[in-house]
Amino acid sequence: MARNKFDVDEVLESPFSFAHLKRAAVYIRRHRLKMLFALLLSVFASVAGLFGPKIMEWTFDIAIPKGDISLLLWLALAYTAIIAIGILFTTARSRIMAYVSQSIIYEIRRDLFAHLQKLPFSYYDSRPAGKILVRVINYVNSVADMLSNGIINSILEFINLAVILVFMFTTSVTLSWIILAGLPVFIAVLLIIKPRQRRAWQVQSNKNSNFNAYLAESIDGVRVTQLFARQEVNISIMRRLIDACKKAWLTAIKISNCVWLSAELITALVFVLMYIAGVYWLGGAIVSFGVIIAMGQYVSRFWQPIINLANIYNMFINNVAYLERIFETMDEPVVVDDAPGAAELPTIKGDVEFKNVTFDYEPGINVLENMSFSVNAGQSIALVGPTGAGKTTIVNLISRFYNLTGGEIVIDGEYDISKVTLHSLRSQMGIMLQDSFIFSGTIMDNIRYGRLDATDEEVIEAAKAVRAHEFIVEMENGYYTEVKERGSRLSAGQKQLISFARTLLADPKILILDEATSSIDTKTERLVQDGIRAMLRGRTSFIIAHRLSTIKSCDRIFYIADKGIAEAGTHDELIKKRGLYYKLYTAQLPEAETSVIGN
Amino acid sequence: MFRIRWLWQNTDKKSRAMFVIAMVISAVTSVALLINPFLTSILIDEVIVAKNTKPLIPLLLGILTAQALRLLLRYVMVIMLENSTQKTFTGLRYRLFTTLQYQEIRFFDTYRTGDLMTRLTGDLEWCRHFMSFVSYTVLDSVLMFSSTLVFFLMISWKLTLAVAAVTPFLLYITHRYSKTIRPYFIAMRERLSEMNTAAQENIAGNRVVKAFAREAYECGRFDEKNNSFRSTNLEINKMWLKVFPAIEALANFMTLATVFLGGFFIIQKQITPGELAIFTSLSWALSNPMRNLGVLINDIQRFFSSANKVIEIFYSRPLIVDREDAVDHPNPKGHIEFRNVSFSFRNTKVLEDVSFEVREGETLGIIGPTGSGKTTIVNLLARLYDVNSGEVLLDGCNVKMWKLQQLRSAIGAATQEVFLFSDTIDGNIAFGDQSLTEDEVRDFARRAAADGFIGRMPEGYQTIVGERGVGLSGGQKQRIALARALAVRPAVLVLDDTTSALDMETEKYIQEQLAALPFKCTKIIISQRVSSVKDADQIIVLQNGRIAERGSHQELIRQRGYYWETFALQNDIPADFNSAAGLRAGVR
Repeated sequence: MARNKFDVDEVLESPFSFAHLKRAAVYIRRHRLKMLFALLLSVFASVAGLFGPKIMEWTFDIAIPKGDISLLLWLALAYTAIIAIGILFTTARSRIMAYVSQSIIYEIRRDLFAHLQKLPFSYYDSRPAGKILVRVINYVNSVADMLSNGIINSILEFINLAVILVFMFTTSVTLSWIILAGLPVFIAVLLIIKPRQRRAWQVQSNKNSNFNAYLAESIDGVRVTQLFARQEVNISIMRRLIDACKKAWLTAIKISNCVWLSAELITALVFVLMYIAGVYWLGGAIVSFGVIIAMGQYVSRFWQPIINLANIYNMFINNVAYLERIFETMDEPVVVDDAPGAAELPTIKGDVEFKNVTFDYEPGINVLENMSFSVNAGQSIALVGPTGAGKTTIVNLISRFYNLTGGEIVIDGEYDISKVTLHSLRSQMGIMLQDSFIFSGTIMDNIRYGRLDATDEEVIEAAKAVRAHEFIVEMENGYYTEVKERGSRLSAGQKQLISFARTLLADPKILILDEATSSIDTKTERLVQDGIRAMLRGRTSFIIAHRLSTIKSCDRIFYIADKGIAEAGTHDELIKKRGLYYKLYTAQLPEAETSVIGN
Repeated sequence: MFRIRWLWQNTDKKSRAMFVIAMVISAVTSVALLINPFLTSILIDEVIVAKNTKPLIPLLLGILTAQALRLLLRYVMVIMLENSTQKTFTGLRYRLFTTLQYQEIRFFDTYRTGDLMTRLTGDLEWCRHFMSFVSYTVLDSVLMFSSTLVFFLMISWKLTLAVAAVTPFLLYITHRYSKTIRPYFIAMRERLSEMNTAAQENIAGNRVVKAFAREAYECGRFDEKNNSFRSTNLEINKMWLKVFPAIEALANFMTLATVFLGGFFIIQKQITPGELAIFTSLSWALSNPMRNLGVLINDIQRFFSSANKVIEIFYSRPLIVDREDAVDHPNPKGHIEFRNVSFSFRNTKVLEDVSFEVREGETLGIIGPTGSGKTTIVNLLARLYDVNSGEVLLDGCNVKMWKLQQLRSAIGAATQEVFLFSDTIDGNIAFGDQSLTEDEVRDFARRAAADGFIGRMPEGYQTIVGERGVGLSGGQKQRIALARALAVRPAVLVLDDTTSALDMETEKYIQEQLAALPFKCTKIIISQRVSSVKDADQIIVLQNGRIAERGSHQELIRQRGYYWETFALQNDIPADFNSAAGLRAGVR
């Protein structure tokens, strides 16, 4: 699996195509009525605005020369009315569009987040968290304006352009062509700039993503950094990343700013050409000076929308780099998903059967091969064996964190886990992982994560069962003490106890404990075992542990090696067998002791 | 204003000069906007009206040159401004990151990752925007407004006064608006930070989310943050749209007043039509700056609320720093002493009156219940926290008198919760000492029993591991962490529960390796397993932050206390087992 690290740019899997725009259209289409309405408001506002010059004309041509003060007042009133209408419409449009653009951000972000929830572990394992985060937060913010106001404004500018074209051509066809002649030049300039500009902004988004990744990592790993007194090295790495951001930004800015620069320069050139043509070539005879003056004004009135469009286009090019990343994430395949027509898994008893299960993380390198076993409801199974033999893989497969390469896993003798909904499957399992993750929030909330509708009493009961209650009540706010994700407030053992309580609270039919108690002292562990014994009755459990005391108390022990189960049986059976398990067991005990125990 | 001063203070001399030059260019080019309308009016009068083609070319050349010059200057101005801003912005990012790196651990117990990230990205971005855009736009607007006003005054003070009468209203409205909107921007920034935190924790905790099938719940929770971010933004827009019509009306009033009052004055013969023409043709030079002002108020307020958040981090200073009279320790020996050390965390006692001594080259074993303060001992030794009372000494010198860099370099720790960087395995092992050769890295990996599984990976030592070592098993992570600690060849080697996820054979192998390290070191072994600490020269049992038992393995077995109980539990001996066999087993 190709993994990415903080200082490696991500290769864009799907370069930009119009398909991206089509997908963006989904978000726009939802608001098309509102946007259409906003567009109409803008059109009305500018139509109302067109009367402004007319009123001015009357003011200067009629009212003032005549000295008619009452007409002047009436005209002033009319002008005020036009302004008022304009303001009203503009305000209404602004209100609607604020809602639309905020909603587009909201919806894209919601969908992106929801999609991320479905992505497999491997997605998260293969890239720095900061690179995912920057897409959800920063990139989404950037594209909203382009997808809302950007679209409306470009439509308005096109309308403007069309209206002015009509005025221009009715005034002077020849001179209009001269004004238009600048357009191909500008388009040529754009075509030259565009690939560089796009590339520059892609580089910029990559560098920014790298910066984010390393920042997130450095905050999370600060304890290690300080323990190893590595700040200087990290800072120099960061300096490199920051400088790369700066360089990329300045390059992109230099290119992007050429767009308005060339548009304005072309405008000036066209203006000059138009006058030269008007005066010399056509001579005063064909073109009256009124026409020339009018056309002089049209030059800027024609080119202003084009400059505006160029700016919108600029924004578009800049943000497409972000849009690409967003859609790339949304396109990330959901590997483990509900099968079509998947049924809800009813409340289960807890029988688990592996039928010829084969699994690999990378094609060709099987971790498990043709593994078959069957566990009855209520049994507890210990998985032992050398590290890396695939114990964690087995429990991950039961919860269907991965799809099998071959074979099937059946629950209660009739439900193939790949044919039921993930939610109904996993919500009946209690999985306690190697890393105990603590969310920011109170301890109460952290335990309640296991069952959201649990009462405070139930939470406390679970905490008591795992012997976490004692240390929790000693904290300043007891169960309402705020803890942080990577805070050093809790010791590793305490975090394990809290996630243990969380798992128990989930009231699972199948319990999976992956090194759940490795950081907990033996005495507490024993107390925990006593405490949860009653709770475990009738539940199937899979326990990965290295501690003999934990292993021994299980109904059956599977020794995992060589892509399958090498030995299986109860503790006593396996000891008698004097095989791999016996070797593992005796390795832990003082030699003098083995004779006593073995008997 | 202190926020602007802060930005300025963090701009170096060259960038300040560039910034000032850019501002001057901006001022000149914005006033120069008036040149072309002026030249064009000459063109119309002299060429078209006078039907005289002679001055046409020079005038057009003048227009073209003026415009081209103005545009190019404008471009140069933007690039200069971007350059100086980027310099400052980059410098701030760098300084902030440095501050974060040296912040004590207590700081990170207070701030969430997502919140810190917001400050260094989104908030800083608003500072950048302020410096590279708001700055010159404000200048342009003010300049344009005031120069036009002066120009108008010279023509007709009466009309100017009438037109300018709206200015106080405008100032009042914007002033009031900027006050009311401030809390909204602060709230919006908070919402953003909360949303960032929610997403960040969701990504970091994605395994737990999946394990509990909480995807829908997480979506709901995120939706709440996402939605409240939207609502706050919409509220801001609503507030803005309350003043927008007023600002717009005032701006339009200027045109209205110019034309109609001007018309009235003409009728009254107070001004000439030509004078009014200048007023009307330049009324935009008054109304546009006014419109800009409103938009800029939003940007400025947003800058203020973001800058506050950045400045808070910028000026936060760790309490744990090198003392001025810190002693130089170029060759740490590894003699450790704790003298009556007590430590509490927010009024919860963690360690109380802990004293022990480990001589150079000796091994200390620490065992004790969950949360008894074992890891805290390491934290205090490495001065991640400072003691509340008592003294921690390394080589006979209080750790507070050590230089932090030297102190921490003297300690190599394999921590309980393994954090790896998203780097190659090679890079992770050489984390504390980048000068290691590949062979050395391999050697330390071998000693940590990691060479085997690393070698089996398709890309071997060049395999990139995820953050926190995701994708590796617990045992694999622990072994890489151990190799990383060994690789700095420290005077004090700390193993904090480093073998808990390893099987017994691997642990035994590692113990043998630790006994024969190629460098001399004092070892602190924290473990839940008696088998890990039993060979230590000295073992202490921590209970509720106090040393409950201490001695060698044999002595502790005889004491029949916590240590014995744990030993008995781990070795399947009934705790009340008193037979000779059991005792023999224990004291072997």
